[in-house]
Amino acid sequence: MKNFTYAAPRNVADAVRLAGQPDARFIAGGTDLLNLMKDGAQSHGAIIDINGLALGDIVQRNGVIRIGALARMSDVAAHPAVRRSLPVVSEALLNSASPQIRNMAAVGGNVLQRTRCGYFRDSGTTCNKKAPGSGCPALEGENRGHAVLGGSDHCIAVHPSDLAVALLAVDAVVLTDRRRIPFADFHVVPGTTPDQETVLGHGELITGFEIPVTPLAARSRYLKLRDRATFEFAVVAVAAALNMRGNTVRDVRLTFGGVATKPWRSPEAEDALRGKPLTTTTITEAGRALVRGAVTRDHNAFKVDLVQRALDGLLRDLGGVR
Amino acid sequence: MTADSEYKRRTVLKAGSAAVTATLVATPAATPAAAAQTESSSVDITLRVNGRDHRLAVEPRVTLLDALRERLDLTGTKKGCDRGECGACTVLVDGRRIKSCLTLAVMRQNAEITTIEGLARDDRLHPLQEAFIRRDAFQCGGCTPGQIMSGVACISEGHTRSADEIREWMSGNLCRCACYPNIVDAIQDAAK
Amino acid sequence: MTVGQPVERVDGRAKVTGDARYAADRTLPGMLYSYLVMGTIARGRVTSVDTAAARAVPGVVEVFTHENAPRLTSDQHFMPLQGTQIHYNGQIVAITVATTPEQAQEAAELVRVTYAPETPKAVIADALTEVYLPANQEVIVGDPTAGLAAAEVTVTQNYSSPPHHHNPIEPHATVAQWDGDHLTVHETSQGVVNAQRTFASAFAIPQTNVRVLAPYLGGGFGGKSPVWPHSLLNAAIARQLGRPAKMVLTRAQMYSIVSHRAEFRQQVTLGAKRDGTLTALVHLSTQQLSRTSENMYSHSISSRMLYACPNIHTRQQGVRLDVPTSRFMRSPQMASHFGLETALDELSYQLGIDPVELRRRNYTDVNPTTGERFSSRFLLDCYKLGADAFGWSRRNPKPGSTRDGHEFVGWGMATEAHDHNANPSSAMVRMAADGTVLSQTATQDIGTGTYTVFTQVVADALGVPLNQVKVELGDTNFPPAALSAGSGTIASVTGAVNAAALAVRTAVVQLAVSNPASPLHGLPAEQIITQHGYLFSPDRSRRESYRAVMARHGAPVQNTSSMTNARGYSTGAVFVEVRVDPRYGRVRVTRGVGAYDAGRVMNHKTAGSQVIGGFTWGIGNALMEHTVLDRRTARVVNPNLSTYLLAVNADVPDIQAIFVNKPDPVSTALGARGFGETPITGVPAAIGNAIFHATGRRIRDLPFTQDKLL
Repeated sequence: MKNFTYAAPRNVADAVRLAGQPDARFIAGGTDLLNLMKDGAQSHGAIIDINGLALGDIVQRNGVIRIGALARMSDVAAHPAVRRSLPVVSEALLNSASPQIRNMAAVGGNVLQRTRCGYFRDSGTTCNKKAPGSGCPALEGENRGHAVLGGSDHCIAVHPSDLAVALLAVDAVVLTDRRRIPFADFHVVPGTTPDQETVLGHGELITGFEIPVTPLAARSRYLKLRDRATFEFAVVAVAAALNMRGNTVRDVRLTFGGVATKPWRSPEAEDALRGKPLTTTTITEAGRALVRGAVTRDHNAFKVDLVQRALDGLLRDLGGVR
Repeated sequence: MTADSEYKRRTVLKAGSAAVTATLVATPAATPAAAAQTESSSVDITLRVNGRDHRLAVEPRVTLLDALRERLDLTGTKKGCDRGECGACTVLVDGRRIKSCLTLAVMRQNAEITTIEGLARDDRLHPLQEAFIRRDAFQCGGCTPGQIMSGVACISEGHTRSADEIREWMSGNLCRCACYPNIVDAIQDAAK
Repeated sequence: MTVGQPVERVDGRAKVTGDARYAADRTLPGMLYSYLVMGTIARGRVTSVDTAAARAVPGVVEVFTHENAPRLTSDQHFMPLQGTQIHYNGQIVAITVATTPEQAQEAAELVRVTYAPETPKAVIADALTEVYLPANQEVIVGDPTAGLAAAEVTVTQNYSSPPHHHNPIEPHATVAQWDGDHLTVHETSQGVVNAQRTFASAFAIPQTNVRVLAPYLGGGFGGKSPVWPHSLLNAAIARQLGRPAKMVLTRAQMYSIVSHRAEFRQQVTLGAKRDGTLTALVHLSTQQLSRTSENMYSHSISSRMLYACPNIHTRQQGVRLDVPTSRFMRSPQMASHFGLETALDELSYQLGIDPVELRRRNYTDVNPTTGERFSSRFLLDCYKLGADAFGWSRRNPKPGSTRDGHEFVGWGMATEAHDHNANPSSAMVRMAADGTVLSQTATQDIGTGTYTVFTQVVADALGVPLNQVKVELGDTNFPPAALSAGSGTIASVTGAVNAAALAVRTAVVQLAVSNPASPLHGLPAEQIITQHGYLFSPDRSRRESYRAVMARHGAPVQNTSSMTNARGYSTGAVFVEVRVDPRYGRVRVTRGVGAYDAGRVMNHKTAGSQVIGGFTWGIGNALMEHTVLDRRTARVVNPNLSTYLLAVNADVPDIQAIFVNKPDPVSTALGARGFGETPITGVPAAIGNAIFHATGRRIRDLPFTQDKLL
């Protein structure tokens, strides 16, 4: 890691101005940024410490919960309003990382964390995310952990954030110093530019998230499957939010982690349920709709099966279907 | 200060430039040829560790962990992975457990840092330190300072209502000798 | 007597306060930091190294490449930086040296290496035609072909397991300091005496010129048993630059230069009579070797030593790949043992005989390969104690017969077994004039409890309280003693410690009975009782404290003794419960009971922790641990602790450890046998057997990840 200049501005305007330098980067929790710099995946000449900005509050007002970008994962997970109105967000956070990292990591940075693809994190290996055009070893390599949805011939790395999957399921809006971005528009698939992971501009600062309090979000859950009991990124994860009228699905959000190159929402799977009764048949059809179009590689085909099983299990639990 | 500090030259640029309001700004200084083998862009910081203020000069890139270990000779805090994946470097900052390898020393000024060396009071071990010995909750000791600091926080957070809860909330600390059940017992003892 | 008691660790306070100084915790005046640059091809040659950018980093003192590195040879390993040849991915191709660790690391990133690469082979599957039988790797007892022909039932199955990495929490570290032609090294070493020899040989200096220190070791598990080339290079750099040098490996670097457990494939064939009696056992295995070493460590000793079978064939084949050299790793015999113990479970189902009963019927107290009687073996007791504690008799053997909510519950078991080393060792015990006792020996406490057990041994031999005894280890200035590997520390060194302590006792007793000033004057020395720090007359009517005898003597009493011991074989039985959620293929281990015959148990607390540790390793090996190599580049894809998974706290249930605790009559270690590696060996098979019992699914390829159980 090369050395860098360090600045700790006290207001957003200064922070954004400082971040306008060509190789500047914000640091909040630092839990991913420092690893990326240690691993040689990123290099920055100026680090702007934003922890002094007043962006840590969690407030509920006018049917909206606003979570400041600097709120720590542990604080958001434990916040009464979040637990009551956005259980999927709390569950996703509590299934993330470790208690220490949850104490450090800010939610704004969480949605910007970068893939744990072993090739991306290895400075001795080519990777189109690190150096576009250098080649993707995962396509024909060790890709058990890689995406079956949203990939391209340039990149099949999965997005690692649990929180992002949950925020996508509750119709969050990303607030920045200059605009509002619906969460569904925030992350982008790799296509031919896998180095581009979000629509955020250089020096643009996430200031927080707004999430509407709805009956849909209030009945939401997160299921994360992995190879050890805890403290691991998802092999497969599902967030579901469900609003029922009697036996009929009035509205539903189905989002997925561990299987896609970005936090993945499946309108097709939702359509298979919306306006229909929640039954084994409709749940199965939702799973099929989700994976229609999935592209598997040598070692990750099991995810197509596993994610349908995860969706099935979560919807049955959430909907009380036996 | 460790002995190698004599090899360092401190360059300090304090905050308050006209352009921005910043608490601290450090930029690489022009390095004279004579000083070619020194740190070119250290900043003076003060870290409050275990109730004592330590003034030291570090480059901004120095992690809190490396500041503790290599500059302040507080080597009780261990480096196991330097990536936040093992928990051996766990310390308390303002009472909350964090992984000191994933934060910069410059970011932790004006904070109360507690390391394993600061847990015992006047030769009297913290109850969790005692419980670790009584329950044989360690073998090689490589993860132990991190386990204990994490355990102290686990207790103060109240995540000790059941053995399963402790298991989940202590899973950020790997133990390769694998003393987990004894660690759970020790934390249950100390939480009483 | 304190031996056998659950005495608390005497090094506990140092370890829970952060006072214990490990190798990487040493900072010396004027010290430089060395940092490794790792190669990115597995086979071929270095064509050029550009160090200009690295040298321009402020604080950088020197950059070493194959062109300017100190010339060195290792008596044990391929030495990098001596030429352009590349034998594995992640080989050392340069070393940067700077005044701070950050500068050295930054410089390392800037070293530009170009290569002439060749296509490597990374996995056994890619080199099946190159499998061969190295010398002395085949054993045939009786007539296995005839034994199979005589069988009424046979099982033949293939099993496989991936490479594993030791991954102690403490990374390898070395701090070297020269004073003229005298070298002091703080080394993460499981064997300071071996290390001393290696350093002396590399630098062509007398062994007495080298001092190696490892008073504490943050885990080794076999990976810190030799001195690896990076430590020799760091010492050479310190000599060349005339300043102390410290090198601490990164976690990623530990995946290529400090060894691993080899990838392993095996075929086990069992022939048996209908009553379960084995008629033949054929165990063929293939393990990965490197281009520079033919050493293999995944031995089929279980197949040769565990069960009564007149016809045994073990064949340990190798295949050379473009990967680093493997080494023994806790526990080396586990890999082959997994195949044997899974095959036995498969046989038990074919025969309809309970798996414990099948093993009982093939019990032997004679080594089936040599015909020699074991000095003691209480494996049958282990089966009974373990099964009773677990409640095995309640087991319905039908797979899938027990369901709890979404989960299937399964019970499985396996025998556990491992041999242990015993190497000649010596130890010093000295009673000071104030009656306090110091014992020194150049073995190590790698976490197993050596400090504590030797304190108990010395205290008991002398009859003094534990707190009157101080034990010092891990320093080549002490009398030479065994490597801490192969479960050998207690077995090797205890006898010497005990003998030295007894010699001191004899001398002090003699001082008392021969001195008219002592209340014990004139009594026969052999009748004196020593206890609680006192010497007593046989009827306890007269006594004198050690302190008083020593004060009168006015000088220390000291003895250095040496002792040998026999190698041995410790066995046990492990029982596990798993819960399998068939919806997701998710496996949880929810209960574990192990019963062991380790000879005399020296300390029930530390021995119990060895069982917990071994069981936990078994869970990791069974469910998650797996080094992944890219087949095209032979490069590790998961060189970290977030995608190379170790079991976390939440993976591990309560584990009950039971000991037969009967001294082995031939062991000079007060009847103790080596034991540390036994309680892992059966766990992966027991978990696999339990998964079969839960679900009817037999997985023969480790680890049992959920994708294999869908």
